[in-house]
Amino acid sequence: MNTQSWDKYMPSTAHITSFFWKGDMYMKQNLFDREEMAKAWEGFVPGNWSEEIDVRDFIQKNYTPYLGDQSFLEGPTDDTKSLWNKVDEMIQEEVRSKTIKVDLERFSGIDNFAPGYIDKDRELIVGLQTDEPLKRIMNPYGGFRMVKNALEAYGMEMDPDLEQKFNEYRKTHNQGVFDAYTKEMRTVRSVGLLTGLPDAYGRGRIIGDYRRVPLYGVDYLKEMRIRDKENLTGPATDEVIRLREEFTDQIRALDAMKSMAAKYGCDIGRPARNAQEAVQWLYLAYLAAVKENNGAAMSFGRNTAFIDIYIERDLQKGLIDEKTAQALVDQLVIKLRLVRHLRTPEYDQLFAGDPTWVTEAIGGIGLDGRPLVTKTAYRFLHTLTNLGTSPEPNMTVLWSKDLPREFKEYCAYMSIKTASIQYENDDLMRPIYGDDYAIACCVSAMRVGKDMQFFGARANLAKALLYAINGGVDEIKRDKVTGGPITVISGIEKNTEEVLSYDTVVESFKKVMDKLAEIYVNTMNTIHYMHDKYAYEASQLALHDPDVHRFIAFGVAGLSIVADSLSAIKYAKVKPIRNEEGIAIDFEIEGDFPRYGNDDDRVDSIAVEVNKYFIEALRRHPAYRNAEHTLSLLTITSNVIYGKKTGTTPDGRKKGEPFAPGANPSNGADKLGALASLNSVAKLPYKGVNQDGISNTFSIVPSALGKNLDERVVNLTNIMEGYFNQNAFHINVNVLDKDLLIDAMENPEKYPNLTIRVSGYAVRFNQLDREHQLDVINRTFHEFV
Amino acid sequence: MIGLLHSIETMGLVDGPGTRTIFFLQGCPLRCAYCHNPDTQKKTGGQEVTPQRILEIARRYRSYYGEEGGVTFSGGEPLLQGQFLAACLQLLKQEGYNTCIDTSGFGNAKYYPEILPLVDTLILDVKAFDRKSFADITGIDGFDVYLKFIQNLDLYGFKGQIWVRHVMVPGYTDNAESMQEFIKIIKPISRRVDRIEILPYHTAGVKKYEELGIPYRLEGVEPMDKDRAKELEIYANKLFADSLKQDRREREEKKQAKFKSLKDREVASEAEKSEILKNLRNLPLLSDVADEDAETVLKEVILSNIKAGEYIFKTGDLPEFMYLIYKGQMKIFFNSIDGEEQIFYIYTDGDFVGGLNLLVDEPYRYIGQALTDCKVVAIPRHIFDRYFYNSPVVLRSILVKSFERIRWAEELILRLSTSNASMKTAGLLLKLVKRIGVKTDEGIRLDLSLNREELGNYSGLRRETITRKLGEFRELGYIELVGNRTIIVKDVEALEAYVL
Repeated sequence: MNTQSWDKYMPSTAHITSFFWKGDMYMKQNLFDREEMAKAWEGFVPGNWSEEIDVRDFIQKNYTPYLGDQSFLEGPTDDTKSLWNKVDEMIQEEVRSKTIKVDLERFSGIDNFAPGYIDKDRELIVGLQTDEPLKRIMNPYGGFRMVKNALEAYGMEMDPDLEQKFNEYRKTHNQGVFDAYTKEMRTVRSVGLLTGLPDAYGRGRIIGDYRRVPLYGVDYLKEMRIRDKENLTGPATDEVIRLREEFTDQIRALDAMKSMAAKYGCDIGRPARNAQEAVQWLYLAYLAAVKENNGAAMSFGRNTAFIDIYIERDLQKGLIDEKTAQALVDQLVIKLRLVRHLRTPEYDQLFAGDPTWVTEAIGGIGLDGRPLVTKTAYRFLHTLTNLGTSPEPNMTVLWSKDLPREFKEYCAYMSIKTASIQYENDDLMRPIYGDDYAIACCVSAMRVGKDMQFFGARANLAKALLYAINGGVDEIKRDKVTGGPITVISGIEKNTEEVLSYDTVVESFKKVMDKLAEIYVNTMNTIHYMHDKYAYEASQLALHDPDVHRFIAFGVAGLSIVADSLSAIKYAKVKPIRNEEGIAIDFEIEGDFPRYGNDDDRVDSIAVEVNKYFIEALRRHPAYRNAEHTLSLLTITSNVIYGKKTGTTPDGRKKGEPFAPGANPSNGADKLGALASLNSVAKLPYKGVNQDGISNTFSIVPSALGKNLDERVVNLTNIMEGYFNQNAFHINVNVLDKDLLIDAMENPEKYPNLTIRVSGYAVRFNQLDREHQLDVINRTFHEFV
Repeated sequence: MIGLLHSIETMGLVDGPGTRTIFFLQGCPLRCAYCHNPDTQKKTGGQEVTPQRILEIARRYRSYYGEEGGVTFSGGEPLLQGQFLAACLQLLKQEGYNTCIDTSGFGNAKYYPEILPLVDTLILDVKAFDRKSFADITGIDGFDVYLKFIQNLDLYGFKGQIWVRHVMVPGYTDNAESMQEFIKIIKPISRRVDRIEILPYHTAGVKKYEELGIPYRLEGVEPMDKDRAKELEIYANKLFADSLKQDRREREEKKQAKFKSLKDREVASEAEKSEILKNLRNLPLLSDVADEDAETVLKEVILSNIKAGEYIFKTGDLPEFMYLIYKGQMKIFFNSIDGEEQIFYIYTDGDFVGGLNLLVDEPYRYIGQALTDCKVVAIPRHIFDRYFYNSPVVLRSILVKSFERIRWAEELILRLSTSNASMKTAGLLLKLVKRIGVKTDEGIRLDLSLNREELGNYSGLRRETITRKLGEFRELGYIELVGNRTIIVKDVEALEAYVL
């Protein structure tokens, strides 16, 4: 911790304001209190951050890397234990009884709810989405039907007056999208070629820079945004008008945030003065986002080094001890574990459980080479010990070969204990995003407060491959009216070969991908145009730079099936068995063929080529608001649903069978053990191709990982080291006994908090339906002993 | 050259230290009743593969190996394809891979001298502990083959460590007496043993028998209870540690018996005596001694016949003589903590030893033992003091010798850093017990200021090795680990058994 005094650099606070007001002709009056700011920043090393909004600079100038081990960590305080026991009981009850609580009298909004507490006197960090823990919010702006269906499913009804008035005066994002969808777009959606599009609920994948609130205070942020708006001059084009409206919405959101916080007795108009306030302000900023929005994934960001600076300052001053420092983090995490959104049971089925993706990115290395590992990184992971395992927040360790070995081994140890951590390659992301990015949802990197993304679910390439064989006709779905087959992609010739030839199928497959890419981009543009219009995330974008950079994130499902199918066609003999309409409903495969997941270039290269072709095809079509196209290999848990909607494929997978999740090899395809499988996945390119992330789930039984815990820690660390050193992007680690999962499926009450990693996040095993539980159990479990 | 490969496991984490790529070679001469890979037994079939290909595959996984990991050859019985295995190991060793073979000791002995010097870890599967049971389990009367294999490991040039394994089948060896037998029969290799494992019998392989249409001999035998197997494993390890201690005691006693006073061994024949003395006068060492003094010197020295294997001096002896080897070879050595004899120097005709000890009056640290029958000239202290102490020629010779020995010792330090990890870890823990141990109710508490890496350096082990060893000791109940920096030693005696 630096001990330089602020005064040494800043004899008075005058120079801060002089910069803030440099050249500013519009503002006559300060909205924020300069004295307060100087007081709050006492002891910090100044820098560019003290001249303008630059949280990264604040962190770099002030954080203390921690190279030691976990021995300093403390257990939970009595208050923390009491709070968690209370909350845990409520969470268990919700899962057990399959009931939920909803505030039926008002709609979502930053400041629409009375303050709520778990046990006010014990709470170091306060704030709930509504007036009670786990009481959910009705958010109709993404789609009204979603809200209504969800309530109906749980036997509830909203205030009829509210419903009538809303529908009379408001239009939703969902309505807007469907008003502008073409027939083609509806078709690709209904056959399951594009699935999980955010056209009926909040899109999420936006990470506000919540740290700005504790560091600068809302008053200052508001003043800056007013200035941004005033500085926006020139012709009133669509974009300029839209921006002005958005800035105004953001300014209102900041006001609402301040008012909401005031109800909890917190003056977030000014910067945080100490560690408790810093954590509290940070959480309130995030809380505003989850009161206002119900995005599928609303990450928390990258906060541990930031919080650590405040904790370290208070520790140095003797204001708090380690026990209190840990309590602050524990209680923050309790709050993050309580975030809920109102979803339909079908939605929960698709995503297997009730995930919110409160993703926190931990660790990584700074551009100057210092690890961004602080004691608070340990404290954050340690909540899994103090409070027990939990799927949320979604703990994401940014792995670098240069992380301290002590930290790597601690993470591996926690993975073995809790199966609650995922790892992503900082050495791949840092060169692209710098050292102040975070992860939205599971694997989507973005610079905090600078980037956002238009989230766009994924395209089912396994189905697209069948279209290449079947002339663009869906192999399952039939027209509701005529009962006849549906042509989804036009202009594709039906394959009539007795034995499929590689070149013919590939050529046709490329045509399908070209066409699919066009529809996909157009559909996404429509969705995000409407989302901006009807369900704008003002509170989160208020915590971004004014000139936010946008990604548009596409996705692929079924890559392993495509690779294996094309490999079968190339290296074995594949004869389609066609029905009377000439649609291939089954395949006869003669001979052996290499399968993805065995570190075999013959097939791994096919996966890479298809992958590259598809992103190029997408890039040919311009995106809404000039967003940058990216692609992900991530299925979340929808690999099961995709499987259901896809016919038999040429790799031997039968109709209805689940896909492998994310970039994983198909179930049972990898014959050479886990590292061969990891090597195959590691070949999929990140930069410029799958730059929205590549998800890979790795499950292993403890006894196969080593003879005792210490050995397992070393072995798991070395596996990750080896994997990431080959430029792999991501790994979910589960160290679990298959028998234990089977037992948990039969006797859920015995394992209330059993958490496992699936695709890019963690779920409570009991919340998965049976089908997903079986999928997890049947997935390749490395149990070689 | 072509080998027959049954299959590959790219993530082997329990067959040898660290992360390992396992190549299962096709073919096995044994037909063990419990074999869970009966499909590897046939000597034909499998995939044809070259040593070059094996190397290429290993390269793909090198990034996962860490400090201890590498390549393991298993089977089947890897020694059966001896020539191929030797070729693979040569290629792998050229690129510095850590190697391991998982064997029962049945193969073509012709290739053992090529193979075994290239093996870092030998996983030795001990099927049974007597001839009859061996034949029962393996279907082959091969107990002698096995015994010969382990007795000759040194001869084959094996320098690595051994993991001893035994598959425990209920009703066969799941009892304390069997464990005693077990430890007894691994005695010839005990100094190299790094780990003793009991693998509880499981029935996962039974399905394969059905598929292959082979009758399953253990039909109806339940899987071995894992907890019971663990208990017996701990027991076997304890027995093993005790046996090491016992061995050392015996060695010590034997050694004592070999010490005799020099006087008892004096050269008897006067003719021979005068012959030797005459020649001595021509040695450079005595060139500085005046003629009139030479007579006194030669009169006072003791000429002894030392038989091969006999000792000349031992650790702790006070320096009474400087020894000059007139004829023969003598070794100077030390018994290191793992009981391994560590030879420092070998002296031969004209060499001398003990001069420095006389100079600084310090007892011997090491042991001098005749390798061949020797004739040794012992120069008594008073003669040394009077005639040699002031001689520049003698002092210079001693200095030159000392310098050579320092050089030698430095090289030795490097060599020492590769010996038995259990013993080193136990030795380190005991050292720490003495220095910083605090007695508590649970045991002796060591609050360390060292992390694992530093602990490793301190004991000459790698970080991953010391972590693994501490984990093992924890499992065996010798120690308890509290966080990363506190170790509670629960069983000092057990540790001492490895070391003292």
